[in-house]
Amino acid sequence: MNARDVAVVGGATTKFGVRSATWAELVQEVGVALARAVPELRAEEVDSLFVGAAEPERFAFQSHVAPLAAEQLGLKPYRILQRTELACASGQSAIRSAYAAISSGLSDLAVVVGVEKMNIPSMAEANSSMGCVMDRPWDGPAGATAPPFFAMVAQRHMLEFGTTEEQMAAISEKNHRFANTNPTAQFHEKTFSREKLLRLPLVAPPLRLGDCSSMTDGAAAVVLTSDEQARRFSDTPAWIRGSGQYSDFHNLAHAGSLTDWRGLTRASREALGRAGIGVEDLDLAEVHDCFSISEIVEYEALGLCAKGEGGKFAADGRGDRGGDLVVNPRGGLLGCGHPLGATGVAQAVEVFQQFSAQVPAARQVPDPEWALVHNLSGSANVHSVMVYGRGRAA
Amino acid sequence: MSSTAGQRTRRPRPEAALSPPPPAPAEPSVPPSNASRSKPAEKRPFLLDFFPLEGPEHTKLYRFYDRLREGQLSTTRCRRDGELHWPPRTACPTCRSEDLEWVDLPERGHVYAFSAVLVGAPLGMENEVPFAVGLVDLDGVPLRVFGRIEGRPWSELRIGQTVRPEAYDIGDGRMFYRFRTVD
Repeated sequence: MNARDVAVVGGATTKFGVRSATWAELVQEVGVALARAVPELRAEEVDSLFVGAAEPERFAFQSHVAPLAAEQLGLKPYRILQRTELACASGQSAIRSAYAAISSGLSDLAVVVGVEKMNIPSMAEANSSMGCVMDRPWDGPAGATAPPFFAMVAQRHMLEFGTTEEQMAAISEKNHRFANTNPTAQFHEKTFSREKLLRLPLVAPPLRLGDCSSMTDGAAAVVLTSDEQARRFSDTPAWIRGSGQYSDFHNLAHAGSLTDWRGLTRASREALGRAGIGVEDLDLAEVHDCFSISEIVEYEALGLCAKGEGGKFAADGRGDRGGDLVVNPRGGLLGCGHPLGATGVAQAVEVFQQFSAQVPAARQVPDPEWALVHNLSGSANVHSVMVYGRGRAA
Repeated sequence: MSSTAGQRTRRPRPEAALSPPPPAPAEPSVPPSNASRSKPAEKRPFLLDFFPLEGPEHTKLYRFYDRLREGQLSTTRCRRDGELHWPPRTACPTCRSEDLEWVDLPERGHVYAFSAVLVGAPLGMENEVPFAVGLVDLDGVPLRVFGRIEGRPWSELRIGQTVRPEAYDIGDGRMFYRFRTVD
């Protein structure tokens, strides 16, 4: 049987931030938001539920979360019920699983929920949870969490290519500015000039507070279906046109030069190739700016600029409105916060809303046709990419 | 059922007022990795931490930790294809052979990249902040190893700094490795 075309036909997110709400309450909240955003959705016809959740066992002391989420949402899936875990890319993994299921005909109508509860009484305990994403018995005892790893990426990038703190601040300023247009963003009401960002305290040198995404609670949800039903829900579905992933290491010692994210180059070529387009065709990209330096290296690995030119690409505003394409119009992980499982799903919500002109004018990309979503996970040792097109099936 | 459960209680509540109180537990909450198998279950670690369980009852790589106890960082090498691994393996990732041998690693290396944890340390490491971490290229072997860097403040470290691996007791009998600057 031929693979079917699959689209995101609607979605919603909760407010991201330090939330006075439990894991299950965040899922209920996103269920309400999804029902408002997609009023055509009837619970009894949702045959499958995919839950992207990175560490509910540690942050909420809860496993077996897929049926728990189903109950919170009032869903009774009868074909596929599963939770996906890929650390910071858990949400995109859930979407990819739903895409595969619908494409193959195993599912006709699926809900994907991404959720994370990260703010708990002991931030040291939360930091431990972030640490066990690494190769725990080898990297963990040294105190490895994400900030020192990405700090080393920044240190090498600065040494090899002359990248500057000002160029990293340009990324953070752009994404926080976009977050001001997004009421669900954690830092919706905060403004950060480049000068202010450069005065914030160091977290892991050379990275400062404004270079780092935060510990965030939040949930996001999307509805996926095939070309047979998509128009029932939306006149402007976001069609999944390509998908790619790549991983070739896990232990920190195997990260190579640190500045050459070959996995993203491979994953994005796979996804763009399946879509039949080049990186120059993209109108917008939601990329994984867990740290400001990440977005700089991603510009290079995606082929938006030459290796070593990412800092200049940022400073010249080529990923900003009026540039080559708009990168992270939602506000990115820096501006929205990074609830691990929710992030990849919230990025897909942004792509759908951009395609259907549902975002505020201050961040609307004019008439977008193609979008790319990227998540990295762990020590940038996994790269996951999906390409969305607004046009009807080719 | 209930009588069986009662027999398993190691420290019954004293029934007479004059009974001496139970002695305070002498063992650390996390026993040494080579602890005897006869330890009662309630004295096992109640919460896993970042450090590995190192004894032969927990890992095939216990010799790595035994060698650390002798002050030496070591790893495995495949006897079939000669590949040197880091971290040590129980099977060669390239040829899948399980015929591996232990080899000692060089006592000197150079820092490839480093940073420091100034805030946001994991549980149990909060009091060690600030601490430096880095990737170290060991001299003469194609291996890069990540670890803590001790010996001078992070602000005085430089890429290329000479360091040596050292072993240390984490405080409960388990061993781990880190790097120390060499002038």
